[in-house]
Amino acid sequence: MASAAPVSRTASLLRDLRYLGVFTAKRVIALLLTVLVGVYLTILIANMGGQVDELRMAQIQGEVAEQVRGDPAFQDLDSEEREELMQRQIDLEVERLRLDEPFILRSFDYLRAAMTLDLGRAEQMHSDAGSRQVYNIIVERLPATLLLFGTANLLVFFVSVFAALSLSRRYGSRLDQSVIGLAPTSAAPAWFYGIFLILIFAFILPLLPSGGMVSVPPPEDPWAYAASVIRHMALPLAAMFIAQIFISIYSWRTFFLIHSSEDYVEMARAKGLPDALVEQRYILRPTLSPIVTSFLLMLIGLWSGAIILEQVFNWPGLGTLLFEAIGHRDTPVIIGSVVIFAYLLAVTVFLLDFLYAILDPRVRIDGGQR
Amino acid sequence: MAGPPLLEIEDLRLGYATERGTLWAVDGVNLEVRRNEALTVLGESGCGKSSLARTLLRTLPRNARTPSGQIRLDGREVLGLPEERFRREVRWVRIALVMQAAMNALNPVVRVGEQVAEPLRVHQRMGRREAQRRAAAAFEEVGIATDFLRRYPHELSGGMRQRAVLAMALVTEPDLVILDEPTSALDVLTQASIMNVLKRIKAERGVSFILITHDIATSSELADRVALMYAGQVVETASAEAFFGDPAHPYSRLLMDSVPRLHQEQPPRAIPGRPPSLLEPPTGCRFADRCPKAYERCAEPPPEVAYDTRHRVRCWLHHPGGRR
Repeated sequence: MASAAPVSRTASLLRDLRYLGVFTAKRVIALLLTVLVGVYLTILIANMGGQVDELRMAQIQGEVAEQVRGDPAFQDLDSEEREELMQRQIDLEVERLRLDEPFILRSFDYLRAAMTLDLGRAEQMHSDAGSRQVYNIIVERLPATLLLFGTANLLVFFVSVFAALSLSRRYGSRLDQSVIGLAPTSAAPAWFYGIFLILIFAFILPLLPSGGMVSVPPPEDPWAYAASVIRHMALPLAAMFIAQIFISIYSWRTFFLIHSSEDYVEMARAKGLPDALVEQRYILRPTLSPIVTSFLLMLIGLWSGAIILEQVFNWPGLGTLLFEAIGHRDTPVIIGSVVIFAYLLAVTVFLLDFLYAILDPRVRIDGGQR
Repeated sequence: MAGPPLLEIEDLRLGYATERGTLWAVDGVNLEVRRNEALTVLGESGCGKSSLARTLLRTLPRNARTPSGQIRLDGREVLGLPEERFRREVRWVRIALVMQAAMNALNPVVRVGEQVAEPLRVHQRMGRREAQRRAAAAFEEVGIATDFLRRYPHELSGGMRQRAVLAMALVTEPDLVILDEPTSALDVLTQASIMNVLKRIKAERGVSFILITHDIATSSELADRVALMYAGQVVETASAEAFFGDPAHPYSRLLMDSVPRLHQEQPPRAIPGRPPSLLEPPTGCRFADRCPKAYERCAEPPPEVAYDTRHRVRCWLHHPGGRR
């Protein structure tokens, strides 16, 4: 018995590792397939199933004609030669963009490029620094969105989880009832509150700027710069906080109420454990998986920003970028931002699978021994 | 017996606030438990026996009203004790509980051993190692291999979980363990072996038990004394021999007749009717409209009558002026 134990422990460790390997491989393949399908659908939609090609064709013809007509070097060519020149240039451009091949073939090339994160060049848009690389355009906008939405969502998340925990302890109290009563305020979106906040705090009482991220021209001193950004953030932040906080507290409170009536919570109280320990070990700990899930999904939800809110506050983030890209039919930018979002989502889901196993012992066993 | 009994319950009342008024689940209960005595609280569903158990440890649901009456431990009143002192001085120090639905009484994400050792760590500020050692001893006592200390609840069978919960109740060596339907979710063999563990522990440890059950067969195994509840009140308390041999209350007698027995020609008889609503209980005897021996006096609330030494009956039939 004593000598058999280490052997079987090694064997079971090996078995666990092999199981882990198979599990990981399965998950990676499944998630890659999901990303693949999502990105391909985006490619089809953003190109309108190939119809964008015709627009592009017309655009090329127009551009070439403009160029040839405007160029003094070609002024003395007769119209036939000019036609020929234009046709040659158009053919060159068509060949470069491979518009002569069927769209369906090119769509797979686009897919391969997208999946390998080769996001290509934007058709019309460019970053403020002048780059036309989709990657640069997106990366330039990312910090603005992360700053605003990250702050807002972290604030809403932590405030609501802790407020909810404390309300669930005071179920039915006046405070509890007023928070529930305020929950319908979240029926209106953040930009709706944003408009009123701008009206009140930027126009009626001119305390805060009505839009933008930093004053023009931007202050030189980094502290003054930070202070200016904070002043610009105040209103959109407040708008998001008002729009989300009550419904968030309400739903977390209900969540904690359900989980604090579990038998083991009652048992823990009967055992004479102090309230703080009961809350930490018997309410929060067993419910950590759903809490972490919603936290991580919230974090990646930041990626797309909020199109209308950014418009209302003239915030130079990804939401505004996407809005402009759709307006300009700048397919590479649209696809590029979806590709990055899809990968972020896949990586998060992948991490969550492992987090669940760490957080909840009941998840570990499934498929392992059985 | 010298000194006060371990536990005395006097005129205990517990109500739940409902939309249609207060529901008195425990309505004037008097009971006592002596050291090393096992009291079975017997009764059908909804008679208030679980509410009684929950009142003793104050694990009441949110809509419960503040209970009234007295609960004395070794002569000291504990019902009015402030929450924090009650937690430190009574819960798991003097009284422990084995919950109904013990299947879910263990936290799914904490190792069983840690949960069993937890009361020691909290109440006696014991170090982890020593607490684990004591938990292991408790596991051996209830008949689970100590390897299971490192397991999670879902890795244990129903019977093992029930034993683990029992080990958890015994680990701090409380004077009184309340067992609320401890075996009702288990199969017959597991039930029997857990009852055997309980009997052994009672003999070895000198601990007192309150066993709450609706199962007459289970109750007869462990009980020294029996209290029968009906509609929020105790209708008869007696020693187990007296209760099972010579029950005095008409409800007790009918209940005995409803139990199927081996080697008996007569088929078990059901008691017709249903218990009254606890929202608007009858003013007189609560069993009167189901009682074959009811007479006009039963319209008044019956007093608790001493039928014999430590044998009390809440019935007009046994009142000195009553009709036998």
